[in-house]
Amino acid sequence: MTAPLLEVKDLHTQFFTDDGVVHAVDGISFDLHEGESLGIVGESGSGKSMTALSIMGLVPEPGRVTRGEIRLRGHDMVRMRPEDVREIRGRDIAMIFQDPLSSLNPVLKNGFQIEEAMLAHRHLSRKQTGARAVELLKKVRVPAPAERVRDYPHQLSGGMRQRTMIAMGLANEPAILIADEPTTALDVTVQAQILELLRDLNQELNTSIIMITHNLGVVAGLCSRVIVMYAGQIVEQGPVEEIFGRPQHPYTWALLRSVPRVDAIQHERLRSIEGLPPDLISPPTGCRFHPRCPFRVDRCFRDEPPLETTSAGHTAACWVTMNRAYEEMGAGELLDVRPGAASGVHGAGARQVG
Amino acid sequence: MATQPIAVPAELIAAPLAREQVGLWTDAWRRLRRNRLALVATVYLTLLILVALVAIVHTPYSTSHQGVAPTYASPSSAHPLGADASGRDILSRLMVGAQISLVVGLMTQAVVLAVGVPLGLIAGYFRGWIDTVLSFMISVFYGIPDILVAMILIVILGKPGLDKIIIAIAATRWMDMARLTRGQTLSLREREFIEASRASGARTAKILFGHLLPNALGPIIVQVTLGIPAAILFEAFLSFLGIGVPPPTPSWGSMAAEGIHSMRIAPHIVLAPAIALSLTLMAFNFLGDVLRDALDPRQKR
Repeated sequence: MTAPLLEVKDLHTQFFTDDGVVHAVDGISFDLHEGESLGIVGESGSGKSMTALSIMGLVPEPGRVTRGEIRLRGHDMVRMRPEDVREIRGRDIAMIFQDPLSSLNPVLKNGFQIEEAMLAHRHLSRKQTGARAVELLKKVRVPAPAERVRDYPHQLSGGMRQRTMIAMGLANEPAILIADEPTTALDVTVQAQILELLRDLNQELNTSIIMITHNLGVVAGLCSRVIVMYAGQIVEQGPVEEIFGRPQHPYTWALLRSVPRVDAIQHERLRSIEGLPPDLISPPTGCRFHPRCPFRVDRCFRDEPPLETTSAGHTAACWVTMNRAYEEMGAGELLDVRPGAASGVHGAGARQVG
Repeated sequence: MATQPIAVPAELIAAPLAREQVGLWTDAWRRLRRNRLALVATVYLTLLILVALVAIVHTPYSTSHQGVAPTYASPSSAHPLGADASGRDILSRLMVGAQISLVVGLMTQAVVLAVGVPLGLIAGYFRGWIDTVLSFMISVFYGIPDILVAMILIVILGKPGLDKIIIAIAATRWMDMARLTRGQTLSLREREFIEASRASGARTAKILFGHLLPNALGPIIVQVTLGIPAAILFEAFLSFLGIGVPPPTPSWGSMAAEGIHSMRIAPHIVLAPAIALSLTLMAFNFLGDVLRDALDPRQKR
């Protein structure tokens, strides 16, 4: 296998607040290969967004990356000069945000904003950038792009705004596009269109995508590999069909179970995960999920489980691992609760593999 | 019954599709036109600027020559506003005075903008010790009386002149602008589009002047519009006290000071500059108020 495009090794991002040190990202490692689309899933506060901001070198005050490496094509961005990291932002790694309206400058025209993204890294004439802005909007399938460049963000619909954001992200043909909950603020139908666009861009331009979301359906439709984060740590990672088909960590299993199903029996109650995400200033001892875990054993209270390979390319950090639970309680019953066929999750996942 | 295709006028179809392009300025101009008072103010200020421009090349009489009319002469057809104690034509002097007032008002605000805006942007964006130092400076300058700052500066800068007065007035006014810009920046820097521009690799200068400043422009413009009359008044005040524009150059303030002694016998000498000053201050303030409303984003959309 070729060297990964992006290597994250033992990344720690901490916030130094008055109440204590918040371990937002606590020793995570993963690779991203060229053209790959990777999903990072977790609840709010699991550290997924902070992982993205750490990669961008944009961790807000009072936080900073305290340990670890983020290697882009072998070069460690954590130890780079801020000016060099700025050069990488937008040129090699671009990012799109959750709310496209608040991510676009309200007083600048759409086209101008796309042009600015280009001019941050290249010396081009306004004529060249103007033409390319129209071209980019066309690429993200904005109708009548030549007119839309003269509009202000508030004159566009939510979907068009997010397309404009994506066009800005693609302005310098980055190797990696980080999308932080890019569809959360959009209508369901528009969500599907944006995901389809991202999938096509991933295939056409060979842009690697890191999709950060709490929406498992989004991951299933777009990503080939998934990382599940809990309390600042990776609890499970593996190919999408493995994660959805045979989750190994009880948290992943519970997460999948909590997705509402269209075909669920009417009177069945929605299954949520009991309890709250842990306090990241003083996280629980042992496995961080143990206070909420239905499968916990004594050891979970004491020792932190390491990430261990459960099958090829699939790792999980759990003393029990669901494989044993499947054996003891019957895989059929436990796995029946997957957010399955109804949302087309499996169809989409299978297509990614093939 | 035969179905007849109904002819729909083209403009009916096109109308809902064509979205109106209403920029900040178009909208501000519309609101301005709707407000009578502001319109009158705009017309008055336009005339004032024209008069000041004309005064560069032509005044009915020389402003410094004494005895072009009888001393204390009342308004007449030859001298519409009469003459002062030295027999100088008041209209001519008022015209040049308008020039002085406008130059002081505009140039002071230019200096205030050039100093206050970058300081405010930098302090608000970087925070930390820079912000602490600037906030301290602002408090110190607010603490010292304006007139004291201006007088000390005029003395220090030596030979009196218009440029010294502009600097002296700007030194008492830059804090308003710095504080306003800082406050705007503090709230704007937390907005997502600033993070997005950082994520696209924009340089700090570009973020400050290209992304933050355009969003703070509305309040800044209002501040400028309201700062102009304040500067004009301050100049008149300084000239009234005799530490402003050196004679024989006429300033509305010094003209009023000269007229005050003969208020009983020749009230027109003090009234002419006083009325001109009042009207000008009112016009700028009306304009500022309307602009404040027009540029307020909360009242739009």
